[in-house]
Amino acid sequence: MTRNRILFGIGVLAFVSVIVTVRLGGFLVDNEYRQPDRQVAAQEELGEAELVPRQQGIADEQTADEAEARARPYEEAEYRTVPFVGSRVTVWVLAQLHLLFAAFVLAVPLFAFIIEFVGYVKKEERYNKLAYEFTKLLSVSFSMTATFGAFLTFALIILYPKFTNYLMHIFSPTFLPYVLLFFLEALFLYSYYYGWGKFGPKMHLFLGFMLNVVGTAIMFIANAWLTFMMSPGTRGADENGDGVPDFVSAVSESGALLSLRDAFFNYTWMPINIHRIIANVAFGGSIAAAYAAFRYLQAKTDEERAHFDWMGYVGNFVAIIAFLPLPFAGYYLAAEIYAFSQTLGIQMMGGSFSWLFVLQAALIGNLFLGANYYLWLGMGRMEGGVHFQRVIKWLLIAIALCFAVWATPRYAISSVSEIAAMGGSSHPQLSYLGQMSAKNTAVNILILSTYMSFLLYRRTGRQSIHPHRKLLTRAQAIVFSSAAALVIFYGVYGYYVDAATRIRFAIPQVYSVLAALVVITVIDLPLYRNASQAGETRWGKIPAVSQYALIFIALSFTWLMGLMGYVRSGLRQEWHVYGVILDTSPEAYTPTLGFATQVVSVTVLIFFGLIGVVFWLSSLGGKKDWEPRTATGGGKLEGGQAA
Amino acid sequence: MKLNVPMPLRLVLLVLGTTGFYMYLGQMVPQKEFHPPPPVLINAEMTTEDLVVVGAELANGKGQCLVGCHTIGQSGPMRFPDLDGIGARAATQVDGLSDLEYLAQSLYEPAAFIVPGFADGMQAINQPPINLSDDEIKAVIAWLQSLGGTPNVTLDTDLGY
Repeated sequence: MTRNRILFGIGVLAFVSVIVTVRLGGFLVDNEYRQPDRQVAAQEELGEAELVPRQQGIADEQTADEAEARARPYEEAEYRTVPFVGSRVTVWVLAQLHLLFAAFVLAVPLFAFIIEFVGYVKKEERYNKLAYEFTKLLSVSFSMTATFGAFLTFALIILYPKFTNYLMHIFSPTFLPYVLLFFLEALFLYSYYYGWGKFGPKMHLFLGFMLNVVGTAIMFIANAWLTFMMSPGTRGADENGDGVPDFVSAVSESGALLSLRDAFFNYTWMPINIHRIIANVAFGGSIAAAYAAFRYLQAKTDEERAHFDWMGYVGNFVAIIAFLPLPFAGYYLAAEIYAFSQTLGIQMMGGSFSWLFVLQAALIGNLFLGANYYLWLGMGRMEGGVHFQRVIKWLLIAIALCFAVWATPRYAISSVSEIAAMGGSSHPQLSYLGQMSAKNTAVNILILSTYMSFLLYRRTGRQSIHPHRKLLTRAQAIVFSSAAALVIFYGVYGYYVDAATRIRFAIPQVYSVLAALVVITVIDLPLYRNASQAGETRWGKIPAVSQYALIFIALSFTWLMGLMGYVRSGLRQEWHVYGVILDTSPEAYTPTLGFATQVVSVTVLIFFGLIGVVFWLSSLGGKKDWEPRTATGGGKLEGGQAA
Repeated sequence: MKLNVPMPLRLVLLVLGTTGFYMYLGQMVPQKEFHPPPPVLINAEMTTEDLVVVGAELANGKGQCLVGCHTIGQSGPMRFPDLDGIGARAATQVDGLSDLEYLAQSLYEPAAFIVPGFADGMQAINQPPINLSDDEIKAVIAWLQSLGGTPNVTLDTDLGY
């Protein structure tokens, strides 16, 4: 009843606001300067055709403006500006919002399809329901993606007409396939969503599969456009035989297209494709988990809480599993940036953007801490979880130490007296932790520790019945310890070699961790197959704070995407197309990191406002149908009759 | 006393608090705008000494030599060779090349000779994105010669490129 009153009050307030606005507008128009009524009457009476001085002045101004407009030759605008915020920030915010929704729309079908497939194989209906629950979020998000995509296109055409025209000249052959694929995506998305339960399982899975194929193809095309701006060239043959493939430019020095193939398959195209697929899944999983958390906190019954607790767990599981290999995809992307241009790579890691990676470390550290915290809280809902919770404090220490190392900058922000005391802008001891060797070691140990958390969670309340369980568990421990030892060894050894060798040490570190994750998983699957259960998992019996942790993770992921989107694009500095087309607009400079974080924060807030609308619309489906109110107040009336 | 904060308000506070925290972190790191390098004016009357000054300006700006690539007077593991004393040792780096020829080759064709212990990675300085003009490259050479040697390049010098 109170709620209805509030809604009624809001409605009345909105109505009154409209009336006041209209009346105010009318008042302002009515009070515009007019010549005195007496003079008008006198003029009319005398039949005077002459204008008073003010009227004459206005008429002369209009004539002069018209004459000037006619005399002015047509000129192609190179740039246009947006008052107050500027062209760059406008395009920046629109592009980021489009990318966030696009990432979500591409990721959700990927894991919805996988969950549906698992349900089909296991013959468990709950997976099917869960996949459908995720898919509910798609239709509104798809519209949001398309809306911001159109908005971004218009903004580019209006604000950067010459450059947009250039990009169209380069990539026009890709537009028709893009539009056709977009049409197919809409077809598969809506048939996948509305066809739930209407088709046979195999047919429905096929629709989901095709939705993912088409969505990924769309992303690959769009990635070619943006990566071309960063690296307009590709690898050629090794003509001089030095073991390094020669650089082949896709365009001439003047920017004329030499090869569409080279422009499309440029240096950073595939690394961005891989990085985006993985990051999209991580981001999509975290947003879906945030949705589940939102519904959990709204839930009225234990059944609802149990369902949304499980959904949040799966969403977070997807997010973290995808997040673990993401740094490796990041290494690949960074290596290709260096391969394309050392100058660009150095700008990224050692130049104007180096401090950004300290912020990135803080964000990723928070993500790992949040994810581990959620997992540890989750152990409490399983019988037999107390045993593993004892190990947690050691993992927490390892994670906190890695976080601290990763976030340590090489050069400290210091006062003059502090610099004098340290003997330079870097701390005599702590600056060692700011070097690449320490950071690579920290992030790899962080990944191993988080994976350990997952392993413990998976084992909580379960007892392996495998005949070689002791041997296999020891093998896992050896693999884990060896990987950690290798990572630390290369981390320490990196301080005694030159920079080029040190950078290459990242490769064995990455491979040893990846290999450990694969080998331990391969051992773990048979080890805990058909394991005996010490007790049931009490879904829905988790502290409410865990749900806020899920939302925190989603927020951090979104903010991280915004930040990394900025560095990827900002890295070009004053170039539209790096080394080819120079940005000559007044905004062709790299803003301060503080300003960039303000833009990212505003974008994140807008996105969360809009995703809140998506959550609300998606939750309407589960509400009861509207019924007319009854005379007793509790029930409803139909046409004035008592129910 | 337990505060009974409504769930929607908690969510709003969480969103604002988290975003605000990250934005605050962004204000704590060094703040610097990076503008495109200003044009460097070189005129025909410039002497070798003038070119040394202009070359130093180019090395720190448009030329990007000292922006994370080369160093002057540092030791330990390095990405690219330290430039301290390059003016003196340039004449002895490659057999048959004078200091001027060697420095010109290093800038126009950096892959032609790689200093032992270092990897190929430098881009031709007369190509985008650095894109120095021939006169600007002469100024950079004058500056490099001044690091331990005696500059002798002028705007009339033919570098052979």
